[in-house]
Amino acid sequence: MGADTTDTRMQRLRMNLAAVYARASVRVKASFRESSWVVGETIFPFLAMSAFVLVYRGLHAPREYEGFVVLGGAMIAYWNNVIWGMASQFFWEREQGQLQLYLITPVSRMSILIGMALGGIVMTTTRALAILIGGILLFHVDLPLDRALPAFGLFVLTLGAAYSLGMILSSLFLLWGREVWHTATILQEPIYLFSGFYFPVSAMGTVIAVAGSILPVTLGLDGIRQIFYGKAAHGFLPLHWIPPIQVALTALFLVIAGAMLRHMENLGKHEGRLTVRGD
Amino acid sequence: MRRLIRILRTSAWLGWQVEANWADPLLFLVYAVARPLATTLILFYMVKVVSQGHAPTDTFRFLFIGNTFFLYVTEVLVGLSWTVFRDREDYETLKYIYVAPVRLMPYLLGRAVTRVGTATVGVLVSLLFGRLVLGLTIGVPGTSWLLVIAAVALGLIGVLWLGIILAGTSLVVARHSMNLNEGLSGLFFLLCGAVFPLDVLPRAARAVSLALPFTYWLELLRRMLTGRGFATSLAGFSDGDLWRVIALATVALCGIAFLWFGWCERFARSRGLIDYKTNY
Repeated sequence: MGADTTDTRMQRLRMNLAAVYARASVRVKASFRESSWVVGETIFPFLAMSAFVLVYRGLHAPREYEGFVVLGGAMIAYWNNVIWGMASQFFWEREQGQLQLYLITPVSRMSILIGMALGGIVMTTTRALAILIGGILLFHVDLPLDRALPAFGLFVLTLGAAYSLGMILSSLFLLWGREVWHTATILQEPIYLFSGFYFPVSAMGTVIAVAGSILPVTLGLDGIRQIFYGKAAHGFLPLHWIPPIQVALTALFLVIAGAMLRHMENLGKHEGRLTVRGD
Repeated sequence: MRRLIRILRTSAWLGWQVEANWADPLLFLVYAVARPLATTLILFYMVKVVSQGHAPTDTFRFLFIGNTFFLYVTEVLVGLSWTVFRDREDYETLKYIYVAPVRLMPYLLGRAVTRVGTATVGVLVSLLFGRLVLGLTIGVPGTSWLLVIAAVALGLIGVLWLGIILAGTSLVVARHSMNLNEGLSGLFFLLCGAVFPLDVLPRAARAVSLALPFTYWLELLRRMLTGRGFATSLAGFSDGDLWRVIALATVALCGIAFLWFGWCERFARSRGLIDYKTNY
C-alpha cells in the first residue's frame, strides 16, 4: 500500500516535471526558430534602451548613470516577459481555445506556469544579454565584472520573486476579458517609473520607493546597482536586507499563486468563463 | 468619397468599441494617460537626479515636448500592426472583413483614427500635466496655436502612412514579428532625438536621423512651443525648410504605403495568410 502510494507520487512528480520541460521547451525552441523574433527580442529593445542612455549623455551625467539604464534595460526585458509571457499567457491561450487543453491534462497548473517561467527566462536572457553586452561595448558602460557573481546571485533571487508574482497575475488575468490588454500596458511604463528602471528609486522619496518595493524588480535592481556602484547607486535599502526580502517574497508569492490559481479556476468554471473567447 | 468616409467612420467606431467598451470612460482615461504621464515622470526624475534636485527647466522642456508628441508615433505605428494581428488571430475577423465589400486599407485607416484619438487625449493630458504640475511653459508669446495644430496634423498624416506600411508587413508575418514593429518605434524614438539632443548621437546615426521625417517634425514643434531650436544639426534649417521636408516626406510615405500595402495584401492572399494563426 505504502509502496503504491510512493510509486503514484513519483509518477505524478515525473509527469509534472515532464510538463515543466515540455512547456519550457516550446518557448525556448520557438524563440530561436523564428529569426524575426530573435532580432526583435535583441536588437530593438537595445535601441529603445539606448535612447535613455543618451538622455544621460545629453545631460552630461556621471557615467555610472548610464550603467543604471543598461541594468534597468536588462531588467525591463524580464519584467515585460513576466507581464506578456506569464501574466497574460493564459488569457492568450483562452482566446485561442487552448486553455481547456491545459485544464484537462492531469498535471498541476503550477507545473505549466513554472515551465512558462523557465522557458521565458531562457528566451528573455538572450535579450537581456544583448542589452548588457551592447551597453558595455557600444556605450562603454562601466560594469565592474569582479562584482558580477554576487550581482548574479541577487539577480537569480529577483527573477524567482518576479516570476512568482507573474504566476499570481496569471491567475488574475485568467478570468479577465479584453481589459487584460490594457492592464498589461499599464503595468509597463508606470512600473518602469515606480521601480526606478532608469534612475535610482530613492529619487522619488521614501513613500513612493517603499510602495514600489512591493515589486521584486525594484529591490532587485536597487541591490544590483549597489553591488556594482556602491554609494553612487543612491541605494534605497541596505544591501544586506534585500536577499532575504526577495526569498520571503518568492515564498509568499508562490503560496498566494497556488491558492489564487485554484480559486480562479473554480470561479471560472462556476461562471463558465474559461472557454469564453473574444470577450 | 462619401463611401470612403462611411468606411472610415464605421471602422473608427468599431475601433473605439474594441478599444474602450470593456471599461467605463474614467478607467479608460486612466489607461490612456498612464503611459505618457509615466514616461514624462521618468524623464523628470532622470533630469532631477543628475541635477541633484535642481532640474534645468529649459532642458527638461525640450525632452518633455519631444517625448509627449512622440506618443502619436508609438500609438499609431504599434496600434495599427496590433489591429492586424488581433483581428487575424484573436478575434479571427480579418477574413470576414476581407470578404466584405470594403478595402482593407481604408478599414485600417479608420481603425487608426481611434488610436489617434487615444494618443491625442494622452498628449493633451501630458501637456496640461507639464504646465500645471511641473510648471513648464508651453508656448511663447509668438506661438501660433493654429500653426501648431497644422504641424501636428501634417506629421500625423505621415505617421498614419507609415503605420499602413507596417500594417501591410504585419499581414505577411507571424504574430511574434510584432517585436519588429515595436522595435521600429523604439528605433525612431532613438534616432529622432525625441528625448535627447541629436548632437549626442554618433555621426553615422545622426546621418540616419536626418533622413527621418519625424526628426524634423519634433524640431518644428519644439521651435513653435519654446521659441528656439533644440538640435544644433538642424540649426541651418529655417522653419519653412522644416515644413517643406515634412510635407515632402508625407507625400513620399503615402506613395510607398500604397505600393507596399498592395503588394503585401496580394502576397498574403496568395500564400493563404489572411487567416494565419501563430502563437507559442
